[in-house]
Amino acid sequence: MVFEEIYKTYWSKVFRICMGYVNDHDWAKDIAQETFVTIWQQLPKFRNESAIGTWIFRIASNNCLRQIERQNRMPRSEMPEQIEETIAHDIEPAVQFLYKCIAELPETDRLIISLELEDVKQVEIAKIVGLSETNTRVKIYRIKERLAKKFENYEH
Amino acid sequence: MSTEIDFKSLWNKQPATDMPDTKEIFAKADKLKRKTRCTLIGLNLSLIATSIIVVYVGLNIDHVKLTTKIGMALMVIGMISYLVVYNQIIPIVFKTEVESNSHDYLNKLIRIKRKEDFINKVMINIYFTLLSAGLLLYMLQFAARMSTAWAAWYYILTFGWMAFAWFYLRPRGIRRKQKFLNEVIERLEQINGQLEAE
Repeated sequence: MVFEEIYKTYWSKVFRICMGYVNDHDWAKDIAQETFVTIWQQLPKFRNESAIGTWIFRIASNNCLRQIERQNRMPRSEMPEQIEETIAHDIEPAVQFLYKCIAELPETDRLIISLELEDVKQVEIAKIVGLSETNTRVKIYRIKERLAKKFENYEH
Repeated sequence: MSTEIDFKSLWNKQPATDMPDTKEIFAKADKLKRKTRCTLIGLNLSLIATSIIVVYVGLNIDHVKLTTKIGMALMVIGMISYLVVYNQIIPIVFKTEVESNSHDYLNKLIRIKRKEDFINKVMINIYFTLLSAGLLLYMLQFAARMSTAWAAWYYILTFGWMAFAWFYLRPRGIRRKQKFLNEVIERLEQINGQLEAE
């Protein structure tokens, strides 16, 4: 698969996963870009041992996890709030609420649910995060339950 | 209660930000590579240049004393050993295998950060000790040629600077880096714990 093709197919998927992790447009765009930089650099070494999608999502997930170093350098409180608000106006409130709830989950749960919502098979999710299939299934079930509860309060 | 389908359709409604041009991606990759290379080359060049100047000046004075030679050697050893260690750690930091699963990746990151922490503590001490001792011995011969007043000034300034570097700059540099590294390690361990808790 050529890089341009991968880029077109996976950009929005990778962006959404990053968005689920940080719930910040510019930051998510940065992580997505970093992910594609790595994909571009590593693509010649890709051996088809796993599906290309799994490989890409692994890189994206790990890039998200690596944000800790950045988080420590630039605390969220220092970011201008106005910019975020203007972007948020165009997006449906329920969508914003979902992404907000996901970004508030523990880090690995954010990745697991983002991958699940991105229609990645549970077997693949388990391979991406390094959990057993059973654990992944249980985790997904619990996260969905938590989200559903939050939405119940939101709707009423 | 909201269903799974609701979540998926809501999830997909998130508008993806405009796809940056592939040129932007390539430019970013290039910038990253250049930045790493520049930092490496910059530090290497400045320390190697300093070593060369120290040796050049040392060898070009008449009747080089043993203290000057030892001082010269200590300073050069200090700078070169710092470079050797630094040049080894940088590629590891930038070439972490991003393709492993998150659990393994986090473990690798933790290991790298611990190594960085160790090098930070040990290497800065070695570097400062060798450089200070070396400088002191190296300058003895030059100071001996000065008048008493100048030599006194020279010793006050040199010792003053060394004390400042040793008691203020060195611990501050170590503390700052260590605080950052410890925080990162702690957070990484916490996240890794999320995968081990079940």
